[in-house]
Amino acid sequence: MDLSKRVQLFLCISVLVLLIPLKADAMHIMEGFLPPMWCLVWGLLTLPFVVIGLKSIKRIIAENPRLKILLAMAGAFAFVLSALKLPSVTGSCSHPTGVGFGAILFGPTVMSVLGLIVLLFQSLLLAHGGLTTLGANTFSMAVVGPLVAYGVFVLVRKMRGSQSMAIFLGAALGDLLTYMTTSVQLALAFPAEIGGFAASMAKFMGIFAVTQIPLAVSEGILTVLIFNAIAAYGKDELKLLKFFPEGGMNHVK
Amino acid sequence: MISIDSVAYMSKLKKMEPRQKLAFALVTLGTCIWADYVIVSVAVIFIMGFTTVCRGGVPLRTFLRLFTVPMSFLLLSVITIAVNVSELPELLLISIPLSGKWIGVTRHGLHEAAGLFLKALGAVSCLYFLSLNTPMVDVLAALRKLKAPKLLVELMGLVYRFIFVLLETSNTIITAQNARLGYTRLSTGYHALGMLASSLFIRTYKRSDELYTALESRGYDGELNVLEEPYDSSLTGCAAAAAVNTVLILASIYLK
Repeated sequence: MDLSKRVQLFLCISVLVLLIPLKADAMHIMEGFLPPMWCLVWGLLTLPFVVIGLKSIKRIIAENPRLKILLAMAGAFAFVLSALKLPSVTGSCSHPTGVGFGAILFGPTVMSVLGLIVLLFQSLLLAHGGLTTLGANTFSMAVVGPLVAYGVFVLVRKMRGSQSMAIFLGAALGDLLTYMTTSVQLALAFPAEIGGFAASMAKFMGIFAVTQIPLAVSEGILTVLIFNAIAAYGKDELKLLKFFPEGGMNHVK
Repeated sequence: MISIDSVAYMSKLKKMEPRQKLAFALVTLGTCIWADYVIVSVAVIFIMGFTTVCRGGVPLRTFLRLFTVPMSFLLLSVITIAVNVSELPELLLISIPLSGKWIGVTRHGLHEAAGLFLKALGAVSCLYFLSLNTPMVDVLAALRKLKAPKLLVELMGLVYRFIFVLLETSNTIITAQNARLGYTRLSTGYHALGMLASSLFIRTYKRSDELYTALESRGYDGELNVLEEPYDSSLTGCAAAAAVNTVLILASIYLK
């Protein structure tokens, strides 16, 4: 099917015009987007992490009951943070995920539970994400993201990298890996007609990478700014946080 | 502050037993995703729209405006699925050449994308039925009765209550920052947002500390128990929900 140059140009421009205003903010997979099988698969994969998270929260609370209220406040904080607009490098606005911040401060296991709660509230109160896709979204945002962010943070600290570097890399990579996981989830559920999973993966990665790399960098910078400000102004108040896992707030000077 | 939340409190279906609403929304949602049929998806959108707007008394504009929220994700993903790259232009319905390969859409791809688009909107309408007619407190009550982990439900209840406190604080701070031209440039925007998040966090922390002290002095021993409102459970509602889903399921089996 041969199209004239003019029609081709028109198609190109209309596709561009369609895509440009779409900022992939709040990259949660929406309600009803995944086939039932993948909803179940991601739900089951997420379950053990949530169970471990609940157990570790129980242990933390048994040690210091005051922290239950603090954890709930942290969950609300993450929700409010996700409802804010983030100035991005490209000038557009999008949502900070707060994944890296929470993971570095509270550790990845606690974050899986808090993330689940925040995602559920986002779907019910803000119409971001959904109930059937809760498993998949929790897996990318509250399991993979925090694990990567925390892992990178600890690793960079072990290699004697600076505090800010560790926070920046942790938050940025945690953010990026979250979106990569989302792309994998979408590609697995919708393999391309021509080329299968790999082609579909390339398509989703291509589209989301363009929008997400600047966002990940912004998230990293912002997380560093937040940590610096907290360390400067709130050091005395945050003594309680030493109950959280090694590598958390107690390392911030 | 959160429009869905305030609409839910004004809904005429608020008094209805939340477990019934939860069951109706989830079963219809499941049917819509399982059936994956354009007619079923459209039917679900209309059924949920009808119950929410006519029975629940939710303004039609509110209901329709909510559909724009997931639209950017939906359009972006559907286009990504519909557009394929191939070396053989014969496979594609319409195509554009690009460095030796062809980018375009296939007939099957277009069908799939359109079906997916409607299916997702159908599923979203079920979610909206639930969230526009059921305040979060009732959802939590339903979860408690359904024996969800106690700690999880309690944390959720606390988070829900704190969200509004923090939103108010953050809105006040944002107004103050805007009044001082905090977000006029990108660099000042970063700075302002960093300040906002950190001061919000420190305030959050202090507030939780004070709250715990207040609770403890009133005999808090690790659990917050509140009385639940009585709900109406109607048999006709149950029957209608069951009938709707039976018809939908039978229709999709017949079509398959």
